[in-house]
Amino acid sequence: MGRLKPNSFAYYRPNSVASALQCLATQPDAKILAGGQSLVPAMNFRLSRPACLIDINGIEALAHVEVCADKVVLGALVHHQQIHEHPSIRQHFPVLAEAAGEIGHLAIRNRGTLGGSLVHADPASELPAAMVALRAVMEVAGVDGTRRIPAAEFFVGWMTTALDTGEMLVSVHVPLSSSSVYGFAEFARRPGDFAYVGAFVERAANESGAVTWFGVSDKPEYRPMSALPRDAAARQAEWQQLAAKLEVLDEPRMRRKLAVVLAERAYQKVEEAKIG
Amino acid sequence: MTVRFEQSKPQFTGARVERAEDARLLTGRARYLDDLDFPGTLEVAFVRSTHAAAKLVSVHAEAASRMPGVRMVWTAADIHVTLDSPEFGVNQPVLAKDEVRYVGEPVVAIFADSRYAAEDAADTVEVTYADLPPVLHIREALQAETRRVHAERPNVMYHQEYQTDGFEEAFGNALHHLSATFTLHRQTAVPMETRGCMAAPDGATNRLHVYVSHQSPHGFRADLCKFLGVPEHAVRVIVPEVGGAFGIKAMFYPEYVVVALAALRLRRPVKWIADRSECLLADCHARDGIHDVDVAFDGDGRILALRDHLMGDSGAYPAVPFCGSIGETSLAARMLTGPYKIPHLSFTIDCTYSNKAPLGAYRGVWGPPASFVQEGVVDRVARALHKDPVAVRRINLLQPEDFPYRTASGFVYDPGSYAESLETALELVDYDGFRKRQREDRSRGVYRGIGISVFVEPTAMAASEAGDIPYEAATVRMEPTGTVTAALGLGPSGQGHETTMAQLIADELGVDVRDVVVLHGDTDSAPYGGGTGGSRSGTIGGGAALTAGRKLRDKLLALAAHLLEADVADIELKDGAAHVAGVPAQRLTVQQLATAAYTDVNRLPEGMKPGLEVMARYQPTRPITFSNGTHIAVVDVDVATGQIQTVDYVVANDCGVLINPTIVEGQIHGGVAQGIGEALLEELKYDTEGQLTTVSLSDYLLPTTHDIPNIRIRHLVTPSESKGGFKGMGEGSLIAAPAAVVAAVSDALEPFGVMVSSMPVTPDQVLEWIDADQEKKVDSVDSKVYFEN
Repeated sequence: MGRLKPNSFAYYRPNSVASALQCLATQPDAKILAGGQSLVPAMNFRLSRPACLIDINGIEALAHVEVCADKVVLGALVHHQQIHEHPSIRQHFPVLAEAAGEIGHLAIRNRGTLGGSLVHADPASELPAAMVALRAVMEVAGVDGTRRIPAAEFFVGWMTTALDTGEMLVSVHVPLSSSSVYGFAEFARRPGDFAYVGAFVERAANESGAVTWFGVSDKPEYRPMSALPRDAAARQAEWQQLAAKLEVLDEPRMRRKLAVVLAERAYQKVEEAKIG
Repeated sequence: MTVRFEQSKPQFTGARVERAEDARLLTGRARYLDDLDFPGTLEVAFVRSTHAAAKLVSVHAEAASRMPGVRMVWTAADIHVTLDSPEFGVNQPVLAKDEVRYVGEPVVAIFADSRYAAEDAADTVEVTYADLPPVLHIREALQAETRRVHAERPNVMYHQEYQTDGFEEAFGNALHHLSATFTLHRQTAVPMETRGCMAAPDGATNRLHVYVSHQSPHGFRADLCKFLGVPEHAVRVIVPEVGGAFGIKAMFYPEYVVVALAALRLRRPVKWIADRSECLLADCHARDGIHDVDVAFDGDGRILALRDHLMGDSGAYPAVPFCGSIGETSLAARMLTGPYKIPHLSFTIDCTYSNKAPLGAYRGVWGPPASFVQEGVVDRVARALHKDPVAVRRINLLQPEDFPYRTASGFVYDPGSYAESLETALELVDYDGFRKRQREDRSRGVYRGIGISVFVEPTAMAASEAGDIPYEAATVRMEPTGTVTAALGLGPSGQGHETTMAQLIADELGVDVRDVVVLHGDTDSAPYGGGTGGSRSGTIGGGAALTAGRKLRDKLLALAAHLLEADVADIELKDGAAHVAGVPAQRLTVQQLATAAYTDVNRLPEGMKPGLEVMARYQPTRPITFSNGTHIAVVDVDVATGQIQTVDYVVANDCGVLINPTIVEGQIHGGVAQGIGEALLEELKYDTEGQLTTVSLSDYLLPTTHDIPNIRIRHLVTPSESKGGFKGMGEGSLIAAPAAVVAAVSDALEPFGVMVSSMPVTPDQVLEWIDADQEKKVDSVDSKVYFEN
């Protein structure tokens, strides 16, 4: 079979976060390898040429889902398919489970990791937007300790995050909310492709809401709404107004149009969820 | 008599015999080209042009030569072979010399201990280009003032005109006329196994062994020997398992010469396997044509005359041995009236060079464009007259009494089930019920459409992309144990010839299908043949298998008659034994017969030569046999997003006598999948600089299992005159499917006045059409208000 060829690289497989960080600090031009679903293709095309790969798949502490009193903590190595199937995630964040099921195909979801997707920060991927919509907090570790970054501040631009050199994402804290209901919709040419445009819509108990779009600009776009109209025409006008102000990546007409359509479809899912 | 008939009824032909190939394919035991590995094999990386049109100012590869593991580096200065196309006066250097003419053209070849080392070295090659204005569009290439892709040749590399007598009068006198332009974008086949080639000098015989993923072992050997200047007995071509070919592997490519010459020079095995980007860049491309069409018709929808200016983009060089643009246009022009009785035809063909990859064969070649035009014309006539598309088809379709039918272009169709296939497919899809439900769907804002494609497929042609070999050959040998070894010159890539040819031979020899092994793909063992392409293997190859099988059967019968002391007419060959009719006890097993033929030769009848081995060639009596059928697609169009989903699909297919219905259905399934890809997804996109922007499968969208609905198939059987009554069927499904799918989109969007005129249809196009229609409606409301004022 024809194969694509990465250039040569050093390979480390640490078994703790501390040793991974040590590796990251001492190896020049190192990259963390988790599921490898984006990094490995990029390396095979030689678009990415790291001198060193730090394979974190042996760090068991990163592979857990933990339900706490006020939040669910997802380790960076949790796979997309786990998010899609996990009973606690299905119970507390059905929209996250649903969105994770739209990532790639089963083989990709079985390998791809939450941390990898968030750190890669492809503006068309589901999980960064989901974390913004759910107001999750990223826990990031460096040799000097850990810090927490709200998702909305974590994604700073096209495939760029607030991670500093030498830092790695270890977990994501998703706050539990009993009052908000979420809906999700996306458009892709083929199921499993990166979304062309997608949206998460939230209705809070006090009739306020929010929409988080992805695939329209260089990062997830969160827009709070002081009132999420019940009236279809008013809602449509609201979506249109918000979409018109988006700084669209390319094909602005098509992307804005679909931003409106998908926000409304996500809203309809909210309605269904409430009935359900 | 009835008993006699029952006894001679074929046991395997026509049955759903399990494919002999599947066990190894499905368990990963098949050996493809890249599974072959000889000690000391060097691997090749090509540095390819990153510019569409440029003078090569300098090529610096010295640093690459010094890289670890690199054994040799070649530029045009080191290898002087060109792929010559004498009929066009254009020769392609196997490594670009002085000028590059498309992105992906090989410029430098690096031979190293591993592909990794070769790629590392390729990174260090410095090529300086001086850009020329690229020629990228057919209509631009047709202008005399446009820069020539080949300075010494005009851009129009092929021109042909044809018109039936009385065309102008018939066209002019018609009551109605319409015009339309049909555009087909570029695509390529994308076989799962990429292209590749390995050459290994054989120390024992001093010959060159060439392993290649190809459709025509003998055709490949002929081309390679021609370009290398070596005699054919000095080269053995071996085609291992092929993971899809679809026409692109019927072509000959520059890389093959480079690999073979390097192996001869270095006296070591040399291997090159294309990666997926090379597949998209440098496999031959397909389609890329424009049709400017004018139609004349009467008030009933009867089409009276059809005119087409066919324009095809050849790419930078005429592909060897089959220039795709000429194939796409010239056969499309001649098949343009399809299954319809259109008495007058006029066409002009222009094929032009461009700074894009060469165009070659892809399954169906001419067919998807011609079906798109032919069915698009019928649907446009129906819409213009406010008639149902079925009604207009019924008026124009060839009827059983019309055969043999001479088309306006001079082809003579053998009998087929044209009208019957339409009615069968309509019944399968419940057309009338669909139309009722469609009205209700539309009132709910659901846009579901139905598209019909009635196709004719010229098959088993004397000449095709598999070459100009109008016959096929088979050797059949019964071994002393009574089992059978056959060999054919075919080049299967998944079609199951090891099964179908064995079925035919087993029935002739009265042995179990599992006792017949079919060899192919090795020029040392296979008789000279044309290979696989142009839907020829079942019909011509099958005819050869039957002819050889019959010859051997005759010998077995004669031998059995002699040994059993019976009349040859009374001998029956069945279930691995010959016995005298009505006297089952008086029998000899084929093993006993074979033993006699090989080792107990004193018992042979007078004049009979020892051994049980025959070779036979078969050439069909007709230059072409035409298979036919009807495809109907149902699609849903989401008018908010432009997304199109194929939700139902039916096929009525007539390929004459079926050898193995399961295999026929597999061919149809694959062709429909590729057709949905062609209609909705697949497009090779060049930007304004001539850069190919679709160089991975995340940009070049292939259909996935989500995109393909369940396909319901019904078989019709109109036997051909060919031996066995077979007709080819390898391409009909891809010929018919794209037209059916886009017609369904047009039907779904009929309320918006949409008639699709280019493939693939994309969501953004759908949204544009709907927007444009709504603006038009707003405009017309405004003008109406103005008028009333």
